[in-house]
Amino acid sequence: MLSADELQFYFMHFMPYADRPADESDSVWVDYSNSHYDPGVGKRYYERYVDEMVLADRLGFDGLVVNEHHSSPYSTMPSCTVMASTLVALTGRAKICIFGTPVNLTYPNRLAEEYAMLDVMSGGRTELAFPLGTGMEYWSNANEIAPATARARYREALDVIRQAWTTDGPTTYSGRYYNYRYLNVWPKPFQQPHPKLYIMGSGSPGTIDLAAELGFGYSVTFIPITQQLAAFDRYRAKVTEAGGTPRADSLILGVMAYVADTDEEALEEGRQHILFYFNNMMRTTPRYLAPPGYVELGEYRRRIERMLTQGVHGNTDWETLTKLSRVVCGSPDTVANAIAGWVRDAGSSRVICHLHLGDMPHWKTVKNLTLFAEEVLPRVRRLIGSDAARAIGARAAGEDAAAVGGMHAGR
Amino acid sequence: MPGVEATETHLPRHSCRVLEISGIPSAVGEVGEGAPVVFLHGAGRLGGTAWAETLADEYRVVLPVHPGFGDSGDDPTIDSIHDYVLHYLDLFDELGLERFHLIGHSLGGYLAASFAVEHAARLASLVLVSPAGLLVPEAPTVDMFRIPPQDVLGYLTDRPERYGDPDAPPDVDQLVERYRESTTVAQLFWERNFDLKLARWLHRVKVPTLLLWGEKDRLVPAAQAPRWLELLPDARLEVVPGAGHLVLGESVDAPAIIRRFLAEHPQA
Repeated sequence: MLSADELQFYFMHFMPYADRPADESDSVWVDYSNSHYDPGVGKRYYERYVDEMVLADRLGFDGLVVNEHHSSPYSTMPSCTVMASTLVALTGRAKICIFGTPVNLTYPNRLAEEYAMLDVMSGGRTELAFPLGTGMEYWSNANEIAPATARARYREALDVIRQAWTTDGPTTYSGRYYNYRYLNVWPKPFQQPHPKLYIMGSGSPGTIDLAAELGFGYSVTFIPITQQLAAFDRYRAKVTEAGGTPRADSLILGVMAYVADTDEEALEEGRQHILFYFNNMMRTTPRYLAPPGYVELGEYRRRIERMLTQGVHGNTDWETLTKLSRVVCGSPDTVANAIAGWVRDAGSSRVICHLHLGDMPHWKTVKNLTLFAEEVLPRVRRLIGSDAARAIGARAAGEDAAAVGGMHAGR
Repeated sequence: MPGVEATETHLPRHSCRVLEISGIPSAVGEVGEGAPVVFLHGAGRLGGTAWAETLADEYRVVLPVHPGFGDSGDDPTIDSIHDYVLHYLDLFDELGLERFHLIGHSLGGYLAASFAVEHAARLASLVLVSPAGLLVPEAPTVDMFRIPPQDVLGYLTDRPERYGDPDAPPDVDQLVERYRESTTVAQLFWERNFDLKLARWLHRVKVPTLLLWGEKDRLVPAAQAPRWLELLPDARLEVVPGAGHLVLGESVDAPAIIRRFLAEHPQA
């Protein structure tokens, strides 16, 4: 049973470039021309988005989440460590959650160094999650990183980073993709031996198993609720199987929310931007989603079958979205009830809150962040707190009943 | 080694078996009797191998399917053209092929040229049909990984209607097989679709060589031929007018040209 005290809420920003003409392009990833990017507009976006992250810190969010994607207006953070560095300097309280650079798209020693720098500079405020990177990233990074080797590289790169942080150097490392004569990372992380680590996944069994095997937490991308819950169940089972105890803070779930005074106002103001995100920012082709060798044949077959029946990204409707996913627009009570329910179902004490999405203007983001922090979070804590109180009451009552039963049986 | 029945659809009239070659199930079609001719297929296999029938009255045509394609098995450790060369040394040992004519198309042409660089003495002759693998900056091979699936056929042929109905509903098995084969090709061509060292070593191909090209090849332009002729010690060029990349299946002239060439170079 979760306690209200353990619950933590992270504000996540994709920092999209939303200022672009309506178009019918098949994809806004990989081949979507950067001729659509205006650096002047881009500078104003960075200033604004950083302000929003800093505001979230002041409003009491427990973490600020950054991640990275490449060659797309979906995100203008191709290097999340650069943005994390800015946030380290401009904030003083919230954790800086770097969720993160695909470790196999860079040199793992370099990432170990950069993350350690940020952890030392922030006095130990970082949390880290390691994504494999979407299929799209493999089209727009160096060709030498073949998608067919993505998973093997990823696994090896994680080993390099863990070795760099858990064994004082110099050490050597000999692998298929990475080899080090002197692995000796300066600086070391402020948090010893390293910050809390998560694997970022989208529900693939292999990734969940890897997180459990390595003793990492598991943070899930924005996939439908049933898939998220199944992933969490698998994670807990695997951790238990390995003799561990699954922790509520080892599982991170994501929610998308817009809060206003009333349900009607929230829908009116928020829905269009969330739909813009799904229909305009996530639009890409099956080819870019799955470069050759990126997914196993069985998984590819499942995807193809799903696409043939459900279509690809880009035709999301509100009813389906809110039914299948953790998306809510409403009054503080509506949003708090929804989130408390999701948190209970998931048994997770870490919640990533997507409170800016798509082409949401600054004033709405500020309003949403403020209402969420001041009106929704206290309500969620109260709801979860009363759960715990009820559970303690129920357990006490149950123990009494058992004791009584025992006495009866004893007679 | 006993072979098992296979269902290689591209080889309807050939005998076809699957041999176990150092752990890899390897499909091998065969047709005809006589001096052995080995054909190494390209990345797409779309053109099929029906043209090989025209040689069957005089030759034993051997049509292996590369690992990672069709009825042959997958082996992710086969990830370079040199691995394929070694695989074929194993396969040729198994088939008792000492000396033979070697034909390769496209990716198979690159493979055949690489085999010839290292083992020219085993070849009675070499036929390279629209071969990939060479860097020719003024007429580069198209990077197929940059081409959307719906446009691919246009790079292979002027007559797409010969290769199925574009409006037919997608077949899941076919899409999965295409993904599998593109993964195989990506092992070789994801980083780049040429071999930086090939030009350095083609002088070793001291064997009569026929370069055969479709005039309208949009994938591997016929304008690459002069560079091959410059590098190969004993080669001549035949260009088939009007034909595209799938020249072997699209022109009756192409197999006829090969047949004449083979006749000029009987087994030693």
